[in-house]
Amino acid sequence: MIVSIILGFILLGLVLLLALVLPSVTSSTVPFGVRIPAQYSTHPVVAEQARRYRRRVLVCGGVIAVMGVGSLALTRQPLLLPVSVLVLVGLWYGCFFLAHQEIRAAKIDGGWFEGLHQGVAVDTELRTNPPRFPWRWLAAAALITVATAIIGVLMYPSMPQTLVVHYAGNGGADRLEAKSVGSAFSLVFLQLGLTALLAVLAAAIIRSRADLDPARPEGSARWARHYMSLGAKALLGLVAMIDLGLMASSLLMWTGTVTRWAPLVIVVPVLASVVAAVTVLARNNADRGGNGEDTGLTHRDDDKFWRAGLIYFNREDPALLVPRRFGIGWTLNFGDPRAAMLLAGVVALIVLVITLRFRG
Amino acid sequence: MKALILNVDLTAEVPIYQQIRDQIVEAIAHGALTEGSTLPPIRALAADFGINFHTVNKAYDLLRQEGLISLSRKTGAVVTASAADQLLPSDWTARARTLLAEAVARGVPAGHVLQTCQALLDSFGQPQQEDKP
Repeated sequence: MIVSIILGFILLGLVLLLALVLPSVTSSTVPFGVRIPAQYSTHPVVAEQARRYRRRVLVCGGVIAVMGVGSLALTRQPLLLPVSVLVLVGLWYGCFFLAHQEIRAAKIDGGWFEGLHQGVAVDTELRTNPPRFPWRWLAAAALITVATAIIGVLMYPSMPQTLVVHYAGNGGADRLEAKSVGSAFSLVFLQLGLTALLAVLAAAIIRSRADLDPARPEGSARWARHYMSLGAKALLGLVAMIDLGLMASSLLMWTGTVTRWAPLVIVVPVLASVVAAVTVLARNNADRGGNGEDTGLTHRDDDKFWRAGLIYFNREDPALLVPRRFGIGWTLNFGDPRAAMLLAGVVALIVLVITLRFRG
Repeated sequence: MKALILNVDLTAEVPIYQQIRDQIVEAIAHGALTEGSTLPPIRALAADFGINFHTVNKAYDLLRQEGLISLSRKTGAVVTASAADQLLPSDWTARARTLLAEAVARGVPAGHVLQTCQALLDSFGQPQQEDKP
């Protein structure tokens, strides 16, 4: 129980930290998901909204933390902590949306885009000489998965007849299953599936479209190339760490070790690598190669394609993966039917895993 | 080789296909594109710009008619710059006449016009002067 309480509060702290840091690591020409011309990025309205956003997020975080501690003291159940993380994410979006609306209104009222030349820049080299897929980073994940499978095959005869396949919140084993290939290698199958999924995603990032700043296309193109390769490596590094956690969990299961720290074996490497990946991408997120000669063009005003400031929806656009405007990394084009199919597939997978786990 | 970046002004009076065509011609002059360089497939370039397929198609078709690139299903769009004949096409002279007439009409001295032309030619940095017959 102590473990899940500590993890709950760590998660709450990380979400709060991300919410506070995010506005300062996003492009200065897209504050709170509103596209503005570069000369307005220091406008008083933008600065004022950033201040208010931070204050609101801090207040929400404080209230949620107090409520989390209160519910814990009253019910003695750590269950409410994951719920409070979700509530914080909801409130965070509310704070974002308030700032988004204000800046957007100021932009429309002030006619910030009037008389500007809106352009689009494309780096043709991304197509004729695309960045290389980071095979070495995939090799790490693949090696760990293969090693787990080999160790499993070697240990199979000596494994206990019943295997612990699920742990309760307090760290005790709450579900056992008879030894079989399906139960013993369940986590190896998970490793295989996740490695394949994230490798495909990394390949999609490498081939995705860059969003260049037409005012300074050359620096921007160099940055985009670097960021794509970084994003692919971050994903593959992440899956390598997840595979490592699954390997450790499998070893616990195969040796019949029951410990209250068992969930940590998987949670710690995953959380650590998520934090590392987000940090690396965030550090490279704000400075987008914005020095160099100004071509006199401004990025086109694409606000109408971003529903509620966050969700990209453009039926005309054949691209499935596009760079996020607020936040880190990439997002799907929900105007593309393939995005809906992909989401449905992921949901179906989660439902399948849950039903399989609770069937017995 | 320099990276080829195409930068299109959506609000300009010059049509987008013309802007793409002009920038590819300039890239060839600058040496950013040389004979044998490949251009992105039409569909990929249109998707990257977020513009209609036919717009890019029109730009590539113009370049093909001018003998600057060759288009084939197998190799895609490939620059064939120096394979074209060394003589200037007649419509080039017509366009140059209009441009020079603009300068004269504004009262710009002939020396200054020639200087500007030479500076522009030099800026392409191509060894064009030496290969005289």
